Formats: sequence, C-alpha cells, structure tokens
Amino acid sequence: MKKSKSIFNDRCGYLFIMPYYIFFLIFVAFPLIVNITLSFTNFNLKTISFVGFENYADLLTDELFHISIRNTLVYVVFTVFFSIVLGLGLALALNFTRSWGTKLFRGIIYMPYVTSMVSMSMVWLWLYDPTSGAVNAIVEALGMAPQQWLYDERYALGAIIIMGIWKNIGYYMTLFLAGLTNIPAYLYEAARVDGANSFRRFWHITMPMLRPVTFFILITGVINAFNVFEQVNVMTSGGPMNSTTTIVHQIYTRAFTEYRMGYGAAQAVVLLVIILIFTLLNFRYGNQGQDLDIG
Amino acid sequence: MKRNLVGNILWFLLMFCFCAIILMPFLVMLFTSLKPSAEILSPGFRLFPTEWKFENYRIAMQSAPWGRFFWNSFYVTVLSVAISLVINSLAGYAFARLNFRGRDTLFLLALVGMMIPQQVTMLPNFVAMRYFPLVGGNNLLGQGGTGLINTYAGIIAPYIAGAFGVFLFRQFFLNFPKALDDAAKIDGLSRLGTFTRIYLPLGKAIFATLIVFKTTSTWNEYTWPLIITTKRDMWTVQLALSVFKEEFITQWNYLMAATTLIMLPLLIIYFAMQKYFVEGIVTTGIKG
Repeated sequence: MKKSKSIFNDRCGYLFIMPYYIFFLIFVAFPLIVNITLSFTNFNLKTISFVGFENYADLLTDELFHISIRNTLVYVVFTVFFSIVLGLGLALALNFTRSWGTKLFRGIIYMPYVTSMVSMSMVWLWLYDPTSGAVNAIVEALGMAPQQWLYDERYALGAIIIMGIWKNIGYYMTLFLAGLTNIPAYLYEAARVDGANSFRRFWHITMPMLRPVTFFILITGVINAFNVFEQVNVMTSGGPMNSTTTIVHQIYTRAFTEYRMGYGAAQAVVLLVIILIFTLLNFRYGNQGQDLDIG
Repeated sequence: MKRNLVGNILWFLLMFCFCAIILMPFLVMLFTSLKPSAEILSPGFRLFPTEWKFENYRIAMQSAPWGRFFWNSFYVTVLSVAISLVINSLAGYAFARLNFRGRDTLFLLALVGMMIPQQVTMLPNFVAMRYFPLVGGNNLLGQGGTGLINTYAGIIAPYIAGAFGVFLFRQFFLNFPKALDDAAKIDGLSRLGTFTRIYLPLGKAIFATLIVFKTTSTWNEYTWPLIITTKRDMWTVQLALSVFKEEFITQWNYLMAATTLIMLPLLIIYFAMQKYFVEGIVTTGIKG
C-alpha cells in the first residue's frame, strides 16, 4: 500500500519525544562529537591546542595501551565463552524439568547480576585473600598449592574473569530460558513422531531455534565485556605489573588521574570503533530475536 | 517423556551444588560481617564466626558519614527513576502509537545511542559538566567555576539519557490494538489524554519493570560518580565503599558489614519483584 502524506497526522509526537531527545542529544550525541574533537588536541583541563594525529601516533607506540587491549581481549573471549556455555547449560537444565525448586534456583542464579560490581568486588577481594580467603581454603582442600591470586600477575586476570562469569551467568541463563520457551512445542512433537532421539532433537531443533538469541547474547556480551572497568579499578587498579589493566582502565587513568584528556579521548575513540563494529554486526546480521516473538 | 526418580534426584543435586557455588560469596560476606576483629586477623578460613558481633554494623556505619552517602544514593536513584519514567514513557508511546514524519529514523538513532556505552561518553560528559555555562560559578563561556561537578544534577543528568526505558515502553505499547486509539478519538480525547487516561493505567506492569531496572542500575553505578564527584559530601554508597576499602583494608568484618548494608535494599526489591526483572530482560533482549 502506498503511504500517503495524510497518515503523518500526529505532529504532537515531536513534543512527546522532545524531552527524551534533548537528553539524548546533550548527553550521548553531542559528547561523541566532543570526544572525537578532543582526540585531536592535547587538552589537559587548563590548556588546549590542536595536535593533529599525534595522540593516535602515540597510541601505536604506547606499550601499556597494547597490554590493555590484550588483557581486554582475553577477558572478553573467556568471560563471554564460558558465560554462554554455562548459561545455556543451566537454561536447558531448568527448562526441561519443572519440579520443585526450579523457580528458587533461577532466582538464586540471577542474584549476582542484580548486585553492584563494587560490592561484589569487595566480597571477591576477600575470597581471594591469600592468607584467610575461602578460595585458598578450597584449593588446599583439593590438595593443590595456595596462590596469591590477585597479587600474582599469572593469576590476577584469570581471577577477575572467574568473578565476571559468576556475576553474569544468571543474565545469560535468563535470556536463553526466554529463547527456549519461545520454541513451539509442536516441533518437538513432530520430531518425536519421526523417531528423533533427544540428542537429534537438541541438535536439529533447539540449536537452530536458539541461533538468533545466541547471536544477540554474543554481541551484547562482547560489547559489555569490552567495557570492563569497575572490578579492575576496585580489586587490582590494573596491577600487578599491569596484568589486569583494561582499555577503559587506561582511559580512566590517562584522563582522570593524569588529566591527559586529549590522549584519553583518542583511546576512547579506539574503544568506540570496536564497539561500533559489533553494533553494526548486530544490526546487519541480527534481528534481536524478533522472529522468535510469537506472543 | 517422564523422568525417572534417579534422574530427578541427580538433576536436583546438580542444581543444588551449582546454587551453592553462586550463593557462597554471599554467605561468606554475611558471616564475615559478624566476626570479631581478632578472628579476621588470624590466618585460615572459617565460614561461621566464633562469636556473633552484630555491633560490627554499627561500628562500620559510624566510621564515616554513611547516612549522607545513603541519602545521596537514595536521592539520585529516586530522581533518576522518576524523571526517566515520565520522559521515557512519553517517548515510548509516541514511537509506538503516533504517526509523524521521521519517526522510525528518530527511533533508530535512539537505538544506536543505546549501544554507545557510558565508558565512551564519560570523558566528554565530564568536560561538558565542568564547563557547563552559568552554574557552579561558571560564566557564560563556562569559565571560572566548577560547573556541574559535585552537584546532584551533574550526577543524574547522564542517567536520564539512557534509551533503555524508551525501548521498553515502545515494545509494550506496540502490542495494543489500533481500535483503542480510534475509540479514544471518538470519545474526543486528545493524544495526551489518550496517553494519560488509557495507556498509563494499562501500563502498570511495564512501569514496575522500568522502576526495578532503573533503580538497580542507578543504585549500583560506580564509574560516573567516581568521575563527577570530588567532595565526600556528594559520594554515593558505591563510591564510598570503594574508598572505605582503602582505609579499612584489613578490617574485613567492617568492610563486609558495609557491603551487606549497601546490597540489602536491592536484594529486598529483587526478591519482592523478581518477575519484573525477568520481564525487562526478556522484553529488551528477545523481543527487542
């Protein structure tokens, strides 16, 4: 049907969205432009002058920034992978049996996601404590040697990754559960009539039907993981030996402890580009699971 | 397909063990917060306290102006949630039910905005707050003072810009039948009247969802208060806890007492309104 001009008859719509759009323009759109502009200056809150691509050239030789990118990538790959695998496993376990306790289990597993990253960082700092922490107590009970965890450059990033998985798993599980309940039951009935065993039903029905939600979880998970900062700042401040510094931690350090705003802005542009690539992938190949919406 | 008893018991044991792992840090936090200081300093791990020290909570709260921090967090959260509810529901309604030129493009822009993380905008937002004209001693060009740094407005404003709520309301209002709008029109209701008299009363569940989500994210926010506040009087509880940690680094019983108290309001809301948490994730995550 050809759209005629007359259907745009709700001009008051602009008034309705205006309050929101003003905040959006001032605090999201405008800052992006400011940030890109600042990245070409040496702004330090006192003086400012245009330096061209100098900040970006410096980024190429900034070893600390390279370490932070590597740490962030390691964090992203491990947290997202294990959160998805464990979240899917839990969702399957909770979906295929409806027995006493299902709701309680779901409530408990989601609990860490509701609590703040700062408070959970405090608790895990204490769990990882080398002399009195619970983690070393468990490790020793299993017959292994106790470790320094957050004070050991070999283990610090791993320790933060494990906490990240623990905190996010309930969120992933809830999304997978929603995806699972949207799969129509008649598909399984039909497969059963055709004699498909439970593995084949999982492989040929559950997995393909979960693909859109998995893609969405993957993309948003990767974007969130790239922004890892709070637990790093609270638990290790990027140490020991910069083994846990991340991209956002570098931005924070340069911009807000050294006041090198221009340089920090250039690092933020790098982060923005990474995030935009994943966002575009999502818009291009994902449908945010819209084809799953059957209700 | 009927599961046998052994399978059911195995499933239950497995889930029980997993939940125990998830709960363990919370239990350690709670029991540590009740331990006497001498026990904290002795090496080795023990879950339960030898002596239950409930006064740890009083001592922890008296060690700093925690009343002020809780008030700051409460005030910032209530204002952010209230303002977000109004402007997000209006925008969500317009994007879902009204026809105006450029509507879908404007919505797509807001959607892209939702993907831009706060970590990218925090630096320019700080600069904008610092040089905000005519407030905090600043002149028209934003010079001379500290702008919106160390003000509630400075803390709250970026929280309101989030597109999450717009998205949530739009998805919800899209599900209403077109006949509803027509009926309202026949009854002579304006668009605003249709919104306040019909859509708002029908949207209670989605308001509850946004309230729990916005409350959680605002209460838990750490990075932005860290950047935008320098005066202790303006700290929120999350920021105060991270500073408290530096001062009380070996006194884990007091640290855990403060951590427990900060977490408590949210955990109460969570267990009272659990279904709305799930609702929000599912609406924006799956149906989005």
